[in-house]
Amino acid sequence: MDLDIHAGEFLAIMGSSGCGKTTTLRMLAGLDAPTSGEIRIGGELMNDVKPHERDTPLVWQSLALFPFLSARENVEFGLKMRGVGKDERKRRALEWLDRMEIGEFAERNVATLSGGQKQRVALARSLVMEPKMLLLDEPLSALDANLVIRMQAVLTRLQKELGITFVYVTHSQSEAFAMADRVVIMSQGEIAQVGSPKDIYRAPANRFVAEFVGRNNILAGRVTSQTDEYVCVSTPSGDFTAAAPADPRATGSPLTFAVSADLVSVSAEKPDSANTVHCTLISEEFIGSVVTLFLESVDGHEFKVQMQERDLIELDLCSGSQIWLSWLPENAHVLEGE
Amino acid sequence: MKRKFDLYAMTWRLPIIFWQFLFFVGPLLFMVAISFFVVKNYRMTEALEMVNWQKMLSRNYFWDSYWYTIFIAGVSTTVAMVLAFPASFALAFRASDNLRRWAIFLLIIPFFTSYLVRTFSWYVILAESGVVNAMLGQIGLGPFKMLNTHFGTVVGYLTLTLPLVMILQTVTMANVDKTLIEAARNLGCKPLATIWRVVLPLSKTGLIIAALFCFILSFGDFVAPFYLGGSQEPTLPILILDTTKSGQQWPRAAVVAIMMMGTLFAIAFAAIALAYRKGGAR
Repeated sequence: MDLDIHAGEFLAIMGSSGCGKTTTLRMLAGLDAPTSGEIRIGGELMNDVKPHERDTPLVWQSLALFPFLSARENVEFGLKMRGVGKDERKRRALEWLDRMEIGEFAERNVATLSGGQKQRVALARSLVMEPKMLLLDEPLSALDANLVIRMQAVLTRLQKELGITFVYVTHSQSEAFAMADRVVIMSQGEIAQVGSPKDIYRAPANRFVAEFVGRNNILAGRVTSQTDEYVCVSTPSGDFTAAAPADPRATGSPLTFAVSADLVSVSAEKPDSANTVHCTLISEEFIGSVVTLFLESVDGHEFKVQMQERDLIELDLCSGSQIWLSWLPENAHVLEGE
Repeated sequence: MKRKFDLYAMTWRLPIIFWQFLFFVGPLLFMVAISFFVVKNYRMTEALEMVNWQKMLSRNYFWDSYWYTIFIAGVSTTVAMVLAFPASFALAFRASDNLRRWAIFLLIIPFFTSYLVRTFSWYVILAESGVVNAMLGQIGLGPFKMLNTHFGTVVGYLTLTLPLVMILQTVTMANVDKTLIEAARNLGCKPLATIWRVVLPLSKTGLIIAALFCFILSFGDFVAPFYLGGSQEPTLPILILDTTKSGQQWPRAAVVAIMMMGTLFAIAFAAIALAYRKGGAR
C-alpha cells in the first residue's frame, strides 16, 4: 500500500476485521515491522527505529492503562521514560488530566474509574508527550453509544486545538465519517479508496467500497451506448442510464454502477424516469426517523431504499407490496473495474 | 454479624472440622504441651515447666542455627528466583503456547522421583573426584570442595525448589497482558526496562508466592543440609534431630519446632500482605 498522511489532518483508516488496518497503525508505532517497503515520518526513514525511540504514542483499543499505577502516574509514565523531572512531570500530568476534565480523579487507581474516565486517562497519557502524531486503535469500541458521541466531540476538538495528526483506526463508519478529514478504506492489506467522507460516500471508487460503505444498490451489466454525459447499461434487472465515468468504456464491455439507497425514490405508479425497477417489498428496517426498505426485483436482485419515516406513511406499504423504484442518471455512479 | 445456626450446613462442615482438629490442631497443641514437659533419666514426664524454653532460647547454638537457617534459606530463595527468572521469562513471553505446556510438564517430572534419590545423585556430580571437578581439572582448575559446604546445601535446596519456582514464575508471567508491555514501549520504555516497569509490578503477587514457597520448603528441609551440607553448621531441622537423639529431648525439639512454625507464620503473613498490597508504589 502507498499512503501519504498529511501533517495536521484527522485520518481515519477503516475496514473490516483482518484487513490490516491495525497492522498499519502498529507499523507506524514500530511494533510490527513491514516485510518490505518504507515508512517515513516527517521525511525520516523509520523502518529501523525502535518503538521506544519513536514519537508515536498510541491509544489502545483495550486502553492498556497500567493497573498498578494511579491515573496521574499513568499519565506521567511516558514523561518519566523521557527523563522529565519529578515536579515537572507531575505538573504536566495534572494539567492534562484537568484538560480532560478528570483532574479530581488524578490519585485514583485506574481500575476504579469508569469507561469514559479511563478513556480520558489514556488520551492524556498519549497527549502529554506532545507528539506530532497520535495513533488511535478503535479507542471508542468499548464505550456505549452516548459516550461514543461525546468522546467523538472531545477528539475532534482536541485535534483542531492541537493541530497534530490523528491516525484513527476503526471499523465504524459513523466514527470515521463523523470525525475524519480523510478516510482510507482498506481491504485485504490494500487501500481500496482514499478520500473525504463525502467523496467516499457519494463516489465509491469500486465495488468493495460501494458494498462496505453506506447502503448502495449495485448493478452490473454491459455498456450498450455512451455519450459525453451518460452511459447506457443493460443489466438483468433492466436497462439503465448512469453518469458517464471519467474513463470511457467500449460498447459491450462490462460495467458496474452503484446507486446510494437514499437517492432512490419510491412510487406506487410507474414514474416517468430513465431508471425504473418494479419491485416487491420484502422487509423494512426501522431505526427512528430513517427507514430502510429491502426489496426484490422481478429477476431476484436485491434493492435497498432509505427514506424518511414520515414520507413512508403516505405510501401505506406492507410486506409483499408492489412498488416502483426510480433514480436520476446523475445519481448512478459508475465503479472502477468490471 | 449474627448467623443462624444451620444444622444441615453444619453436618457437611463437620467432617472437615473434625479432620482438621484430629490431624492438625490436635498434634499442634500436643507439641506445644510437650514443650513444657521435662525429661528425667531419659524419660519424658508430664509437667508444666518453662525450663525447655529457657534452656533453648538462652543457648547460642540455637540462635546461631536459627539465623543460619533463615540466611541459607534466604540465599537459596534468592538464587532460585534469579536463576529461574530468565528461563521463566523466555517461556512466558518468547515461547509458543505449545512449547510452554511441554516445558511445564517437563518441570513437573522431577517430582515423580524421590527427593532423597535426586539429592544423592549430586554426590556423583559434586564429589572431589566427581564430574564437575573432573571437567574443571581438564582446564587446570580445582579440585574444589563442594560437598559438605554451604554451596552443597544450596544446591540441595535448589533441587527441591527450582522446578517449582520456575513453574510458578512462568504461569504468573504468562498471564501478563502483552499489550501493556507494548504500551510501555510505545511510551518510550527501553526493552529491558519493561521488565522492571511493567512485568514485575504485574506479576508481583505470583512472584512473591513463588519465593514464599521456595523459602518455606528450604527452611524446613532436612535432606539437603544433612547430606550435601554436611551439617557442620546445623540448620533447625538438623537441630531437631540432634536434640531428639541426645537424651530423648523431645520437649526441647518441640521448642525448636514451635519457633520454626512461628517464624514461617510471620514470614508467610508478611509475604502475602505484601503480595496483595494494592497499587501505588512504583
